[in-house]
Amino acid sequence: MLCRNIKNRYINYAVTVFRYNSTASQVILETLPERDDAVEKKKSPLDYPDYFKVHDLFTVKDLFDARVHFGHKEGSLNDYMRPYLYGSRLGHLIFDLDITAEHLRKALNVTAHIAYRGGIICFFNRNALNAHLVENTAKECGEYAHTRFWRGGIFTNANHQFGAVTRLPDLCIFLNTQNNILNQHTAVRDSAKMLIPTIGIVDSNCNPNLITYPIPGNDDTPSAIQLYCELFKQAIKRGKEERMRFLQENDN
Amino acid sequence: MYHARLMLRNANCLSNIIEGAIYRHANLSSLVVKSKNFSSTSDIKTHQENAPLEESERAGGFAKAYEKQSHILDSQENENHTFASLLRNSKLIDLGDPVGKVVIGKIFHVVQDDLYIDFGWKFHCVCTRPTNRGDEYVRGTRVRIQINDLELSSRFLGSSSDLTLLEADCKLLGIVSTPVRTSAKV
Repeated sequence: MLCRNIKNRYINYAVTVFRYNSTASQVILETLPERDDAVEKKKSPLDYPDYFKVHDLFTVKDLFDARVHFGHKEGSLNDYMRPYLYGSRLGHLIFDLDITAEHLRKALNVTAHIAYRGGIICFFNRNALNAHLVENTAKECGEYAHTRFWRGGIFTNANHQFGAVTRLPDLCIFLNTQNNILNQHTAVRDSAKMLIPTIGIVDSNCNPNLITYPIPGNDDTPSAIQLYCELFKQAIKRGKEERMRFLQENDN
Repeated sequence: MYHARLMLRNANCLSNIIEGAIYRHANLSSLVVKSKNFSSTSDIKTHQENAPLEESERAGGFAKAYEKQSHILDSQENENHTFASLLRNSKLIDLGDPVGKVVIGKIFHVVQDDLYIDFGWKFHCVCTRPTNRGDEYVRGTRVRIQINDLELSSRFLGSSSDLTLLEADCKLLGIVSTPVRTSAKV
């Protein structure tokens, strides 16, 4: 199936290159589409910019009502977070929700696609206030969560620590990239080492460098975390439903 | 704040409408229910005979106003607000300098004598239970608090970044409403 798609793609590209570079007449083009019809042209979900329509899951007003735009004080600002800020209100930083919305859409798109391909997703959160919510979210969408103390080698020394060949997650979602106020969560660095893509909610005191799809926003308020959990759960559910539909279609 | 003003305007208009409606409006059956609190039923009964005559008239000023008022809140929900306008009209900007301002918060967690109060900001604040009416401070109680600091964070000597406590610092002033049903006071 996959090979057939690639072959089709090459045929399409060959047609366009030929058309733009040559001065040949239109006649040559007309003969080629017949070959395309004989071989089935199927578009994969990756050909669409937003196959799972995750862009409809939220609006900027939803983010605003969930207090996503609140940041910490200027004194704890990480320099790398400056591009994501709208400004500072009497010392308290405000995120630009238009930038946040764009990042969030990309992240939800990636989540849905990884869920569609049957990937393992792991949620991380080290804030005791929201730990229970995150664990429940993971349970409801059938994925995994790790909200407790992180032993050093869980990713980097997995086979030895678990005693058997382990499959690592295909995506790590950090709802809180900090371990405590002073340190970043070790799993951010370890995911980068093990080539696992990461999505992370980065607050104004966090370092977004090692995270593949950072989402600048509030990670301290329970209402904001609740919104993120809901959005990721919906995206994962959509990806999984599409996967079930695809598998059923192929069985028939 | 904006919605409160709108509701007040609506209430005033509604009372004006109902006073006028008794004399002119064609469909009185719906209004009878609404105007029960505003006027006596004897007034409505005498003017019901006039209702069929009014139907043929053009829509008067009252009918136009009634149409406008009944849809005035519908358009609000579909508007696409930009982030800049949302922020400009938000409570945070209305607050001004937060130090010393009084806000209303809701208790969302209680640990013996510590009350965790959420007042719509990024952080909650923690206050001790006061001795006066102490039993009424339960989860769901709305309280008045005065803000001292929106985030307890400061830079300590030798560190390059602030250390935050992830908490606001507020003074508890009193109760606004409580879900505890107090026994009848003598």
